[in-house]
Amino acid sequence: MTAGFAPPFTVESTEWATAEVHAAVTSFLAREAEAMDKRDYATWLTLVEDDFTYLVPVPRTPDNPFSPHYDTRSMLIDESKWSLESQWFRRLDREIYELSWAENPPVRFRHFVTDVRVRVSSDPSVLDVRSNVMLVGTRQSDAPKFITGERIDAVNVVEGGFRLAHRWVVLDQVVIDFPQLRIML
Amino acid sequence: MSVAEADRPVSVLRRMWGDEELFARELELVFKRSWLFLAHESEIPEPGDYVQRRMGRDRVIVVRSEDGVVRVFLNTCRHRGVPLCRADEGNASHFRCSYHGWTFANTGVLRGVTYQPDVYGRDGIDKSQLGLFAPAHVDSFMGMVFANWDPDAIPLRDHLGDLAWYLEAIMGKFDDGLEVVGTPVRNIVKANWKTEGENLSGDGYHTMVTHATAVELGLFATPKDLELLTDTVTPRFTGRTVDCGHGHTIRVQRLPVVVEGNKYWGYPEDMWEQFDRNLSPEQQQVMSALSVCHGSVFPNMSFIENFKTNIDGPGRHARYFRITIRYPISATHSEQLWFLLQPRNADPEWRRLSSRAYLRTNGPSGMFELDDTENFVGISEASVGEVARDMPITYLGGLSHPATPTEVGWPGNAVDGDRTEKTLRAFHRQWAAMMGGDVVVEP
Repeated sequence: MTAGFAPPFTVESTEWATAEVHAAVTSFLAREAEAMDKRDYATWLTLVEDDFTYLVPVPRTPDNPFSPHYDTRSMLIDESKWSLESQWFRRLDREIYELSWAENPPVRFRHFVTDVRVRVSSDPSVLDVRSNVMLVGTRQSDAPKFITGERIDAVNVVEGGFRLAHRWVVLDQVVIDFPQLRIML
Repeated sequence: MSVAEADRPVSVLRRMWGDEELFARELELVFKRSWLFLAHESEIPEPGDYVQRRMGRDRVIVVRSEDGVVRVFLNTCRHRGVPLCRADEGNASHFRCSYHGWTFANTGVLRGVTYQPDVYGRDGIDKSQLGLFAPAHVDSFMGMVFANWDPDAIPLRDHLGDLAWYLEAIMGKFDDGLEVVGTPVRNIVKANWKTEGENLSGDGYHTMVTHATAVELGLFATPKDLELLTDTVTPRFTGRTVDCGHGHTIRVQRLPVVVEGNKYWGYPEDMWEQFDRNLSPEQQQVMSALSVCHGSVFPNMSFIENFKTNIDGPGRHARYFRITIRYPISATHSEQLWFLLQPRNADPEWRRLSSRAYLRTNGPSGMFELDDTENFVGISEASVGEVARDMPITYLGGLSHPATPTEVGWPGNAVDGDRTEKTLRAFHRQWAAMMGGDVVVEP
């Protein structure tokens, strides 16, 4: 078998961050979502670590109510900072955007990030940040579609703020109905 | 329709992409009479393992019974119609209905009727006549489980015909076989169920246009990538398409190189010896220096083995193998299932790279798929109008291409030439043969 995939934190810490840290992290997440929604990839890339990973496990409905509603053997999305920077984000480069058919015109994305929970992890320089995310996608003249899930982010505390180290997103919907699946939740 | 006729022009009206009346006919005339791919045996290795799938719009349970046999049942209680499984996957020795509690063994036999003497009298019900509804035929090939409701259907192996040889080349080259990796992804595509199957039947014509930016960004082999693998790079990709009969097709595109011996680039080199041993010389020729091979098993299954480049960094190339199926939802909507299959016991590092090669290009979130889907969605959107639906589609590509000499040893009606619409015509001829004559028009 392949090595299994796992979220950045498998055990939830019981220690909550201070109100001040919570507010700062919430603001950081909003800034990150803003950069992505505006396709301001240059800014977005400054908010993540060089070894950033982004994983979305495959959602499923198992028969055992105590099993997770996702599968850690296979992924829907498995990306790194390198792949985002050199593949995803270059689709709108001036020389090639006219042939990036699915971005012509682009799907409009809007993030709604709520219920931010910030916990202190066993490593004081890494925060366990969980949030609910709803991404709304609107393709051309179609009605908007939405997708929801829970994010588990490892957020590094760095000089002057934070950087996103790992993102793991568990989706709620099993048969995904969204204009495109190349999405940063 | 004979195989030879696939070389003649054919066209169909655009209403095939979005007409609800035709769609209703398809459910009856195509989905109830075809061998339909449901699952791979590796998904249900243990007795009691099951997955829930669909045949047309009917939900079915695919289960490995206690006796080890894979069986398929309509997911509905024989009593009053409540589904027996609500989950996508699990393990169960019995299925119990939530309405009145009728219980069925995973062989489909009715075992228990709740309060039987009270409700039906001591001999008032014959349980042996009330097993779960099952398709007329269930069979498997290379671990792929298919079922068919039609009692008169020809056997699966005969139905797959010449395609079987190619599927053996793809799936039979590994000592330890293939396994499905995890739960399949499922998503709704706002397109007719036939669009992606038609494309994957063998459209080599669209690659450099639809996928221009993915090629530009290095994900598809270029001479620059290949020069690092061999010093004999030639100017053009070559390819063949094969009409295998019954609407089944394959396209094989070879990398533009001249090489000594077999080069199964994209797999770890220590696996290559397996492939030489497990494949005939002609099958080795299909698999060596492969760029991509993809095809469709009529009506709604497609497969692709593909070499993708610079996936995870410069020079990080890998092949992957994917199966997709499309459930018909309506004339303009389908549900797609995505299966990644990998060789058992292969190097875990390579498997991760191969998984990324799939996900980042032709997986549900991959760049190639993104641009393909925009075309498929657009075709349905542009074909529902009262004028457009009665216009023909143009399928003239490759009519002049030469037949592949039979001494090459590739079964089926094989034709040299990579950019062709030959296999698309084969797909539509089978569709037309099952649907009735009025759907075909002269081009």
